[in-house]
Amino acid sequence: MAGRAQIPTKSSALIAMIADEFGVVLLCWDTVTGFLLAGVGNVDLRRKTNYLIVDSKTTVKAIEDAFKEFTTKEDIAIVLISQYVANMIRFLVDSYNKPIPAILEIPSKDHPYDPAHDSVLSRVKNLFSAESVASGRR
Amino acid sequence: MMEDQEEKGNAENGIGRQKQVKDEYLLQFLDSLDGYLTLLDSLSSTLSQGWLELASARHAMGASRINGALLDLKVHAAATSLKVSEQDVDSMESQPCFTLCKWASSDNGERSSGEEKSLSPQLRHRNNSQLSGIISSPVSFSHFFNFFLSCEEEKVSTRTGTPLILVDQQRQKSLSVFGVLVSPKLRSAQLSFERALETLVEIANLHTTMLSMFEQVHKELENTNG
Repeated sequence: MAGRAQIPTKSSALIAMIADEFGVVLLCWDTVTGFLLAGVGNVDLRRKTNYLIVDSKTTVKAIEDAFKEFTTKEDIAIVLISQYVANMIRFLVDSYNKPIPAILEIPSKDHPYDPAHDSVLSRVKNLFSAESVASGRR
Repeated sequence: MMEDQEEKGNAENGIGRQKQVKDEYLLQFLDSLDGYLTLLDSLSSTLSQGWLELASARHAMGASRINGALLDLKVHAAATSLKVSEQDVDSMESQPCFTLCKWASSDNGERSSGEEKSLSPQLRHRNNSQLSGIISSPVSFSHFFNFFLSCEEEKVSTRTGTPLILVDQQRQKSLSVFGVLVSPKLRSAQLSFERALETLVEIANLHTTMLSMFEQVHKELENTNG
């Protein structure tokens, strides 16, 4: 049908994770560990994992590279990213507009979810505030 | 004169229909937005429970038995994966629909029967039990189908003949990274994070619906202004 965007269908896709763990060593790894317990961990033949654990030593460049890698891999359908980490690469996250993989910002242990920083919700807010200004002018 | 009146009537009907379509898009968008925020709140609670259980397990088993150094870096496929299919929104648009396949893979690449959940969001029915109305009838993309973790496991097992034991084996394998004898709290944490995964797939489906409706509303607003 003309004009329809093609959605790539997959029978077995992965969930990638970029999660932050800050604090004392005893408290690290919790979010990623939890999801690995749920069975989403994948290690390929090149020993590359489908997750990145962000700690105090992880650079913003490393996070950006991981984000770009996960969003361009064909076998990843959802990317989970702690909102706190997403804020470090906010420009990159906000400029992402493909349907797959879906980018979901999740809370982390030390940083609760804030709807004001969510990429999609801030876009919605901007639209409606621009519209109310425009209708006010009319 | 009669022709003028008829044309005027047709124009008014056309405008009325356009308004109806716009209202429908807006309603669907607001519904998906509300569902999205509610599910995120639910996810936060589930994750908090999981973190607490993980901390309790660490306290019971000791920090040396639950730490990042034990994460399995041997080559292995994800036991829990996603199925992505195309869902028609209208004649000009389609959106992805995610289905969670829990414990459906093994290391040797064979796909065993696991638990599959497809939760496709639909327009919420506004009634008193709002939370239960958020996710209405899910769409099945294969012969495996599951709604809730605890109460539906047996039904999946009897309906499809899938032995629960296979799922339990996968769960045990995942836990075995932390040793043979693990704290019950670690098992509880595993179940909590599984529930969190189910919620996340629901959120992902609502997310795509919300984005799709957002684009429609944006287009309508531009047409109105333009």
